[in-house]
Amino acid sequence: MQIFFILGIPILLAVTCLLIRRQRFLGILNCVGYLVVLFLSVILLKQIALSGSTRSFLGFICLDALSVFFIFVIAVVVFASALYSVGYIKKDIEKGIISQKKASTYYLLFNLFCCSMFFVPAMNNLGMLWVAIEMTTLISAFLVGFYNKKESVEAAWKYIIICSVGIIFALLGTILFSYAFSISGLSKSLNWSDMVGVAQILDKNILKIAFIFILVGYGTKAGLAPMHTWLPDAHSQAVAPISALLSGVLLKTAIYAILRFGIIIIKSVGFAYFAHLMILLGVISLVISSGFILVQKDLKRLLAYSSIEHIGIIAIGFGLGTPLACAGALLHVFNHAVTKSLMFFGAGNIVSFYRKHNMNAIRGVSKALPFTGMMMFLGVFALTGFPPFSIFISEMMIIIAAFTKSSYLIAAILLLFLAIIFGAFINHFGKMLFGSIPKGMTKTGEPLTGKFAFLFLGLLICITGVAFVFIKGEWIWVVQKLFLI
Amino acid sequence: MQVIILFTVLVSTYLMVIAKRTPALIRSFRYQSFCLFLATLILALREHQLDLYVVSGLLFILKVVFIPQLLYRTIKKIKASEELGLFINPQLSLLWALGFTYLSWVFSAHLIGQGNEIRVIMLAVAFFVVLAGIFLMIFRMTALAQIIGLLVMENGIFLLASMVSGGMPFFVEIAIFFDVFVSVLIMGFFVYRINKFFTHIDVNKLSRLKG
Repeated sequence: MQIFFILGIPILLAVTCLLIRRQRFLGILNCVGYLVVLFLSVILLKQIALSGSTRSFLGFICLDALSVFFIFVIAVVVFASALYSVGYIKKDIEKGIISQKKASTYYLLFNLFCCSMFFVPAMNNLGMLWVAIEMTTLISAFLVGFYNKKESVEAAWKYIIICSVGIIFALLGTILFSYAFSISGLSKSLNWSDMVGVAQILDKNILKIAFIFILVGYGTKAGLAPMHTWLPDAHSQAVAPISALLSGVLLKTAIYAILRFGIIIIKSVGFAYFAHLMILLGVISLVISSGFILVQKDLKRLLAYSSIEHIGIIAIGFGLGTPLACAGALLHVFNHAVTKSLMFFGAGNIVSFYRKHNMNAIRGVSKALPFTGMMMFLGVFALTGFPPFSIFISEMMIIIAAFTKSSYLIAAILLLFLAIIFGAFINHFGKMLFGSIPKGMTKTGEPLTGKFAFLFLGLLICITGVAFVFIKGEWIWVVQKLFLI
Repeated sequence: MQVIILFTVLVSTYLMVIAKRTPALIRSFRYQSFCLFLATLILALREHQLDLYVVSGLLFILKVVFIPQLLYRTIKKIKASEELGLFINPQLSLLWALGFTYLSWVFSAHLIGQGNEIRVIMLAVAFFVVLAGIFLMIFRMTALAQIIGLLVMENGIFLLASMVSGGMPFFVEIAIFFDVFVSVLIMGFFVYRINKFFTHIDVNKLSRLKG
């Protein structure tokens, strides 16, 4: 039952944005709405994930542990982003960057975007899953091009074209899946729950080809290299709260789609095929992104490349495929979403204060914006996998799994590139956070709601790692049940 | 009958690949969509399914009438040059297209195996249309050509889907139509924006974001 509220509340909020034009009220209403959604998603998570059951409504909504987990991740980041938006949009209006009217358009698009993302994990029908993911692209294109500058329009165009082409491949793959299903003599259906039941008897050759299309298609949306080219542009040009949503959860919805098809492939073709492809793409993403991170000059692009890196790590985790690795990868989905959102919020504050993206021109953040500076300091260490923060735990799980599976090469590649990226991040952020403020700029206060968003995410970063030690057993049990390994 | 329609789809796709100007491209796209409409209509008449009638009707309204009209209007309004801006000249494009045809033939023969010849032809044409769409998107410079390339790919997918046991489930089909409709509107909107900010729609020159 909760799922209908989770899907309905964003729609209701979007309708409210059409009726009411006072942006301050809308911002606060959003926060309340998404807080409710967050609570509902926690209830769902408790009910479904821990009992290991599945629940379906009307045939085309189907919830199991995987989907409620992704709904929960989306709810967390969306709530934080709604909190942060209030202060951020208010500041933009005060500075005259956007008008009052445009602010309510922002809230409308924000709600529609969130709604489309909530739909993705809820869908049982693979065709509707495709439609939901394409909808996320179409709506967020406006949010990428929101500021109406040359750069943002260019980024939006690249985003919409590259992702649409990618997603057409995914549709091709979906159709081939349904073809494999229909020639096996069963009735016409695109429902995942129907397909996974008969996975063993489907034509293996067709499924193999179809999965390549799926991986290229949804991989484009997930930002797996070498299909990642839209990602740094879109993330650097979008409004800051939206950058957090794009990086934190939009990429993860595509990962979710890949996993859904992956489960069918694992059951039918066998694990090795899925594993090789995922590890290949994961390693390419890790290697390419680390190069760009080293030489990056633009703050938001740096964070965008870091997202590609983390998506690569997640792909490697699922590719390794032991229960520990899959558990680590799923946990990494959550940890990366939380940590990267915090970093993008910080970057948003920094960019709006210095009015520059170039990291060479940004100095003395900890003096100019003390609170943001402190949270960013924490965030950098969390993001690069420093203990005791949550990302350390999940990365460690994946690396341990690689060693115990005696995939030493993969473990070595992971460790090497994580070390390189750690160095690059400390170098970039060390220069930015410390040092003296450029002349003519003075320390400013930060909006309260923004601070709440930071504290909420910061708390999650700090406690998830520790809390996980206590629920590790259940977690791995759920993951094992999901992937049948 | 089916083979004739498939052949017309093939011809219209070749026309698109060698087109030099945007209006010609749109016209060929209209022919191609009309063929798809005919194919679906024939299927509907044969099977007497209401779903298929609705799908073919939507196909006609959306892809034969509305989208080409929208694209023509966009060209007129933005007053951009009608040249497509070819990276590869028509003769060479033709060679590429021939290569694609052969490739998709081999691929679909491999996928389906012996026996059902008409299925192999359908699959080959569908894959060829998808490949031609990618070709248009990569080797033509204007934003409008990219939109049409995307639509051509979509047409190819539609053909493929109708081959697969008469299309996808009805509401998925409707949702995909809606999706195509919205995406064309949004892309058209961004073409206006690009034209406004850059005073051209040459995507090749959009290179402010790097690294």
